[in-house]
Amino acid sequence: MHNKKEACRNFQRGSCQYGERCKFLHVIQQQPKSNAFGFGTQAISHQQQKPNPFGFGVQNNAQSKGVNDFGNKQSQFKNTWTRSSASSGAPSLRQPDNQPQATNHRCNDPESCKRIIAEDFEHERPLWKLTCYSHWKNSPCDIVGDVSYEELRAAAYDDAKRGLSLQSIIERERNLLNSKLVEFENFLRNPYRGPAGSAAAQQIPFPGATTTVLSPTTQNTVAPQSNVPPSVSSFSQLGASLNTGFSPGPSVQSNNASGQPTSFSNSAQSSNVFSANNVPSANAFSFGNQQPNQSVVASFPTNMANFSNSSATNPAINQFSAAAISTQNFSSSSIQSPAFLNVSLSNSEVVGREATNVQLGNNLPTTVASGDSNIWLKEKWTPGEIPEEAPPDAYV
Amino acid sequence: MSTFGAAAANHNPNKSFEVAQPPSDSVSSLSFSPKANFLIATSWDNQVRCWEISRNGTAVASTPKASITHDQPVLCSTWKDDGMTVFSGGCDKQVKMWPLLSGGQPMTVAMHDAPIKEVAWIPEMNLLATGSWDKTLKYWDTRQSNPVHTQQLPDRCYALTVKYPLMVVGTADRNLIIFNLQNPQNEYKRVTSPLKYQTRCVAAFPDQQGFLVGSIEGRVGVHHLDDGQQGKNFTFKCHRDGSEIYSVNSLNFHPIHHTFATAGSDGAFNFWDKDSKQRLKIPIS
Repeated sequence: MHNKKEACRNFQRGSCQYGERCKFLHVIQQQPKSNAFGFGTQAISHQQQKPNPFGFGVQNNAQSKGVNDFGNKQSQFKNTWTRSSASSGAPSLRQPDNQPQATNHRCNDPESCKRIIAEDFEHERPLWKLTCYSHWKNSPCDIVGDVSYEELRAAAYDDAKRGLSLQSIIERERNLLNSKLVEFENFLRNPYRGPAGSAAAQQIPFPGATTTVLSPTTQNTVAPQSNVPPSVSSFSQLGASLNTGFSPGPSVQSNNASGQPTSFSNSAQSSNVFSANNVPSANAFSFGNQQPNQSVVASFPTNMANFSNSSATNPAINQFSAAAISTQNFSSSSIQSPAFLNVSLSNSEVVGREATNVQLGNNLPTTVASGDSNIWLKEKWTPGEIPEEAPPDAYV
Repeated sequence: MSTFGAAAANHNPNKSFEVAQPPSDSVSSLSFSPKANFLIATSWDNQVRCWEISRNGTAVASTPKASITHDQPVLCSTWKDDGMTVFSGGCDKQVKMWPLLSGGQPMTVAMHDAPIKEVAWIPEMNLLATGSWDKTLKYWDTRQSNPVHTQQLPDRCYALTVKYPLMVVGTADRNLIIFNLQNPQNEYKRVTSPLKYQTRCVAAFPDQQGFLVGSIEGRVGVHHLDDGQQGKNFTFKCHRDGSEIYSVNSLNFHPIHHTFATAGSDGAFNFWDKDSKQRLKIPIS
């Protein structure tokens, strides 16, 4: 026979089709399994007994324990991964990631990273929206503020116990969802404040090229009038239909003028919506919000018109119908106040407040930085310091 | 969970056996006894129920045995290794120890500042580990009211798996903390999840060489601990239906074959082999 010196790699993977005839050594334990910290020392002996009871690659898994006859059934033993074909449809094993553990992904190629983000948001949006996100595996989150199913549900149950009406619970959740969606939208438009957690509200470190692309869409292109993403239906666990009353409702994104770091977020609000929804929502901030809105509002409409057009073409913002830009209500910040939710959710960061901070500054191009123009860079406006005039174009 | 209109049409497509007197609200966790055929289910209706599962010819029968009540929804459960006692924890921020086989009454053995999401019994240390949304992991000797050790986590605990001496904790914002339980006070390693979205579940390999992580984006990551084995890491997609992307809610290894099952929000469960990177198809008889 052949000189069996080398170990058979297929066998080690559990599926060598040659069996006895194989010209490599059928040994499992080749190198000493270098354990990270001595894990699995017991397990090594297990390894040697595990001759692959399942006949891998076989479609019909006979579940027989030891029976494997490696010699036969050549066609059924595939030692390569398979993309599942039409028969099973959805489940599939992907190509193994050939990239080495990219522990420190720096966005050296921002364009490709942006593409990744756009693709992710296009194709890989999970049904659950209240999630953190990172565009690169093993990298820290670009968008923070996870809320898990159980947390949301526990909060709802708590609220219900305390006597809150179903409607208000739904409202709260809807707001949470919307602010998160806005965050994602913002991120898509403007991913580069240096991904993941860079300091809040700073200038975009990013070259001007992108800003030109992005700037029209920055400030706030769309009035989220009917931005009911279909996924909202996943909230109907509480049994209510959320499709009702979505008209001005969802866009409730109050300013966090007081006490919360606000963000010059990108979604427009109609101030009617504001007053309609924010006030009853017991949001202490809505009060302060109105003011900045009013003052800033008037001067924007013209600018807005441009924005709405450009934004309308951006597929990523579909959910937010561009229709109502004509609402002169440019809200300077429109992220739902997280504090509102603090009541039921333990951590305000759940709502991704930090992330919204981060988003903020990037909307503003890095051009002018004069003294009082800093006002435009401020995340949070206290009533009274809001400038009366429109921001210089550089900041819009 | 409420059924939305027509959704109840076919809720048992595999003709599985349903237990008698099921919970009245969603089931949050299931645990089989390591020693006998007792099944524990915890539910959002605040109850922890126990059934004895037995064969009845070709059919499977379930007999409700006992139940206890918490003040708030119960999120997690586990059996003690002697098969006599059950631990359950949840939104009431407590873990109750219930020596049900000896007919004892439940007692509170652990407390946190926020709901307890995960609980695990570690027989090698004789301690109970609890992970909570208060961002801590605590180890409890059930005879004492104070934790033996409190471990700070970077964020809320979402998932926990123990395969002595490996323990992996998945938290919010995609942190995965790996512990060597021989030295539990120090984090062995902290890894950011290979998946891009919220971590939903983790499962340690039976040979402790690594772990699986499942996320809400219909994807599972296979991660090895040893630096030399990082090339074997990969992720795969599952529980997707067209453009709908469901979350992977649970991962469980077969104790002997080392294949694993995933269960997803699409209402499906699948079996996989990570070494050959395939999905296993089981003929349903």
